[in-house]
Amino acid sequence: MTSVSTNFSAGDMMESPLHHHVAHTNHSDAGIVMKEDKFRGHLNLRGNPEDTAFTSAVESVLGVALPITANTSVRSGDTVAYWLCPNEWLLIVASGTQGQVEADLRLAVANKGADQHIAITDISSGQTLVNLSGSGVAELLQKSTVYDCHVSNFPVGKVVQTTFAKTGTTMCKLEDGSMDLVIRRSFSDYFFLWLQDASEEYGLQIA
Amino acid sequence: MHHIYCPYCEETREEEEYSYTGEAHIERPKDPASITDEAWGDYLFFRSNPRGIHHEMWFHAAGCRRYFNATRDTHSYQIHETYKMGELPTITAKTIAADTLAAQQGDAS
Repeated sequence: MTSVSTNFSAGDMMESPLHHHVAHTNHSDAGIVMKEDKFRGHLNLRGNPEDTAFTSAVESVLGVALPITANTSVRSGDTVAYWLCPNEWLLIVASGTQGQVEADLRLAVANKGADQHIAITDISSGQTLVNLSGSGVAELLQKSTVYDCHVSNFPVGKVVQTTFAKTGTTMCKLEDGSMDLVIRRSFSDYFFLWLQDASEEYGLQIA
Repeated sequence: MHHIYCPYCEETREEEEYSYTGEAHIERPKDPASITDEAWGDYLFFRSNPRGIHHEMWFHAAGCRRYFNATRDTHSYQIHETYKMGELPTITAKTIAADTLAAQQGDAS
């Protein structure tokens, strides 16, 4: 019986099953820095923006008025509200406070006598917030999303829901020029693998 | 790729964000029990298939997740306008025919 020679060696040509998880080390001069803002409270809020009792009730809890203009956001400390559609918002609040905020919102809406045809849904476990910063972010987004993320079309505070590769995302530009992305938990592996691959030429650092 | 204006996001976005969801302005019969099977079948299954102006619904799936209406030419694929649910189109086959006629008469004079 002749032995079969195996000339394969663990070199450049082969990828181990976990290759994609270990291929990228943390570059100190990375062009892309990813930081997950873990365990924030995410609340989906729906209501009638023309009902002033509703909007003032929400404002009394959040400390800021809901963004009524399309594709905008407002920020107040740890709380941020994204416009999602004319009667829907995403509220991202400090970790662990979402239950209290939800209760406060329900109480305020009832006390103000607002139309009770509203919905507040805790979706914290279904999605997460990821921040992308660095010199390569603009180019990374160019090849990851169909939306024009150029600074001339994407001012600070703007919120855009669009595609990210084959998944979806809600993006918001921050004052420091970095981008916050809300991604779904069920697509987080996909997102991360795409991010690793797409940021290979810039270097990826996980902060 | 088309660039389609979403009347809710108030922006022109890539076609990839949208999906087509069929003919618009189909009214549900007020009293289904009193109409014939044929009329109910027409409502349920039969759609117009015009060559030219078609009013249809689109869904902004990756964006605001709202349905809206579009007026599209099925021949040229040109989207003439998009408008919110509950609104009526300003551009129809009739208005385009009238515009075309006016242009022809303008040329002739």
